[in-house]
Parts: sequence; structure tokens; C-alpha cells
Amino acid sequence: MPRFLITAILGAVLSGISLAIFAPFVTLRRISYMGEALSHIAFAGIALALISGLNLTFGAWIFVSGVALGISWLSKKHKLHEANTITIFLSLSMAIGIILISLSQNYSFDLASYLFGNVLLIAPSELWALAGLNVLNIFFIIFFYKELFYMSYNAEMAKVLRIRTQAVDKIFYLLLAANIVLNLKSAGIILVTAQLILPAVIAFNLCKRLHYTIIIAVIAAILSALIGFGISFALNLPTGASIVVVQATLYALSFAFRRA
Amino acid sequence: MIKITDLQFQIGAKSILEDINLEIPRGVFAAIIGPNGAGKSTLIKLLLGTLDFKTGSIEIDGIPHRQWLKDHSFGYLPQREEYDRFFPATALDIALMGIAGNVPFGKRLSSAHKADALDAMRMCGIESKASDLIGNLSGGEFQRLLLARAIVTKSDYLILDEPEAGIDRPGVTSFFKLLKQLNEQGKTIITVSHDLHTLSEYCSFLICLNRRLHCHNKTELVNAEIIHKTFGEGVRLIDKDY
Repeated sequence: MPRFLITAILGAVLSGISLAIFAPFVTLRRISYMGEALSHIAFAGIALALISGLNLTFGAWIFVSGVALGISWLSKKHKLHEANTITIFLSLSMAIGIILISLSQNYSFDLASYLFGNVLLIAPSELWALAGLNVLNIFFIIFFYKELFYMSYNAEMAKVLRIRTQAVDKIFYLLLAANIVLNLKSAGIILVTAQLILPAVIAFNLCKRLHYTIIIAVIAAILSALIGFGISFALNLPTGASIVVVQATLYALSFAFRRA
Repeated sequence: MIKITDLQFQIGAKSILEDINLEIPRGVFAAIIGPNGAGKSTLIKLLLGTLDFKTGSIEIDGIPHRQWLKDHSFGYLPQREEYDRFFPATALDIALMGIAGNVPFGKRLSSAHKADALDAMRMCGIESKASDLIGNLSGGEFQRLLLARAIVTKSDYLILDEPEAGIDRPGVTSFFKLLKQLNEQGKTIITVSHDLHTLSEYCSFLICLNRRLHCHNKTELVNAEIIHKTFGEGVRLIDKDY
């Protein structure tokens, strides 16, 4: 098998795992809309990094992290409806991104690869970054499991009962931002959102305990990545889109095994 | 003792609580009564620290309230707990929430914590539901579970916001009997309730609130005039002889 293909398959699998680990928490905290918004906001981050000459991934991560923490702070401080704040930031970021890219006149920049994703473009260095991020993700989930569990159940009650969720919430958003930004190349802005929800809803149909849900979500993501990659290679279809179609199919199938 | 001095609370230009001066002694079974919109739940949220006040002060056992909250928590049963019925948690997981704040980052809840949580669940009569998913509990069972979570905190103060909501009549009686039992074991109970009949049977201290404080005194010293002042003249008091 050609080396680039092995890199791409590993990329698809690692990308699926990194989003699937977060998917149960994103779904339970009802912030899937935030996941979608952050992947769009990353567009402005990439444009800013492009203009300022920063590394695209690093620049986008800094920008997305700042905006994610900003949305969270603004919503809490001024009691704004989080969905409204997110929509404002989403539209503004997309607008800024489009203006900046048009100003930069960098025609060699492959914008489509960030919009729709192309796992074949993953470089070995990015593969290592994804692997490192996955280690960080797993460590984060294991170390802060009880805080994540209770803040997903009811953040306000967790605060009343002195469960230290503030710092964990911030790290959660920083890591979520990093996962979204690092997955843009393989999944694309449009498909990251689906990968942040589908593995979790598949798992919720199959088991009723959170720790099992995380494991099942990761297995579903790995399976979808491998099957989706195989289909896209055999039929010459876009890889990210194929993976999401496989995930959606697994979701439909999971209803047959749904636990009461 | 909880000591509230000159407490004011506003949302925008609207005054919610005015000139609240109140002392709740340790060991009482206190009830906060008042009409809808009287500021009862707001007072509780100010005590819990989920709302901030700008004017006045609260002291708990002689310690400024914010400082006290850093090292202690109230046992709290909310009026309506916001939760997802499909959340993958068992009843035991939720009871353990009362103790999770005492366990450092990275440490798991131990079997000793689980034993404490099961004890509290036994006291509340829901031990048999420990491994049931929360979505499978009835309203009354869930309310008892939340009381178990409040007990697990081991706080000397239990604060309850309309605990009778969602429980049927016999359930309310047994619920208040359990609260009385906890009170006799030394817990200070502060409950918001509309059920004056039940309160008159169990409470030792009544706080009549309608944005301002109309009285805070032993239950037997509260008379019809104070009730009318709190609820307005539209309230009809009925004496029942059982």
C-alpha cells in the first residue's frame, strides 16, 4: 500500500477518534451548535493566520479558542441566549474570513480543502499532531471525568455543590477548539459538526452509561473511518463525506439495537 | 446561624428584595412563605451564591457568606431540577453528586463515598432504585433522590425550594416527616413552601416574605394579621379542627 494512503487512513481514524471522544459531552451539554459555529469561526482564524503569516493550524486554534471562551463568557456575564451569541459570532467570523481572504489575494491557498475536507492532504507532521492531541484528549477525559459528567448533567447544580467546573469548562473549550481546527483538513468545516454528533447518538442508542458511550462512540468513529475510506477509495468519492454517510447509516442501524 | 443584614436585590430597575434583616438560628425547621413573586426563590439563590447582591451582607456561622461557600456547601433541593431524562446517569450517580465537590481533581469517588450515598438513599426510601437510570424514576422518587443528594453533602443546613412540588398528598406527609427527623438529628432546615397546613404541623420558625420581610418568628407567634400582611387581604384563613 502506498505510504500516502497509510497516512491518509491513519489520519481519518485519528480524526474520527478525536471528535468522537468529545461527541458524547457535546451532545449531552447541548452545544452541538457550538461545534458547528466553531468550525465556521475557524474559517476566519485560517484567513487571519494566512494574512499574518502564522502557521494556519496554530493561528486558527488561537482565534477559535479566543472566540469560544468569549462566547461562553458573554453568554454567562450578560445572560444572553447562547444560540444568539453564537450566531452573531458565526456570521461575523465568516464575513471577516471572506474579506481577509479576498484582501490577501493568495490564490495558491486551497480554500476548498478547508471547506469540504480532504484526508489525502494530511501531512505526516499533522498525523503526529493528531495523535498527540488524542493522547491529551484521553488524559483530559479520564482525569476530569467526574467534573465533566456532573457539569454535563447540570452545570448550575454542579457549581452549587462546589464541583470545580470552571477551569474544566475552559480546558474543554480549548481542547474542543484544537480538535475542530486540527480536523479541518481531513473532515472539513462542513463535516466536522456531523462527526461531533453522530458517533455519540449511535452510542446512546446502544448503551446507557456515559463511560461505555464514549468507548462505543470511538469504536463507531473508527469503523466509519475505515469503511468510509474504503468506499471513497473504491468509488472515487470524497472521503470526509463518505465517512459521514457511513456514520449516518450506522446511526439508522443502531435503532434496531436500541436499549429501552 | 444565618444572619442577613440590610439585604437589597434588584434586577434592572425592579426591586426584588428590600431591607431584609433576618436571623435564622441553628437547628430550626424554618419555612419561607409568601405569594408568587415575593422573592422567596431569589432569597434562596442569594444564600446559595448563584445570584450576587450588591447591598447588604450575609453571614453563616459568623463567617462572611462568600468565604463560607468556598469551604462548605448547602444541602439544596431545587424547585425544579433541569435535567435531561435520557441523561446516562443512575440514581446513585446523582446522589454521589452531593459529595463529588469534596473529591480532588483526578480522584475517583470511592466505595466509602458510595456507602454514604446509599445510606442517604436508604434514609429517603429509594435505596432499591440505586442502579436505575434517572429517566426511569417517578417524580416522587426523583424528589427523594434529590433530598438524598442534599443529605450526602453532610451540610448542617438543608435548603429546599418547594419540595412538595410533584409529590402526591401522602408523599408530602412522609417527605415532611423525613425532614422533621433530619431536623431532630441536628440539621437546620430552610424550606420554601405554599403548603401552610403542612408547615404549621412541622415548622418551628416562619419567615413571611413579600419583597420585604413581614415577620420571622416562631411558628406559634405568627398570627392572621401577619399572614394577611404577607399574602394580601384576598387570603381567607380557615381553622380546621382535626
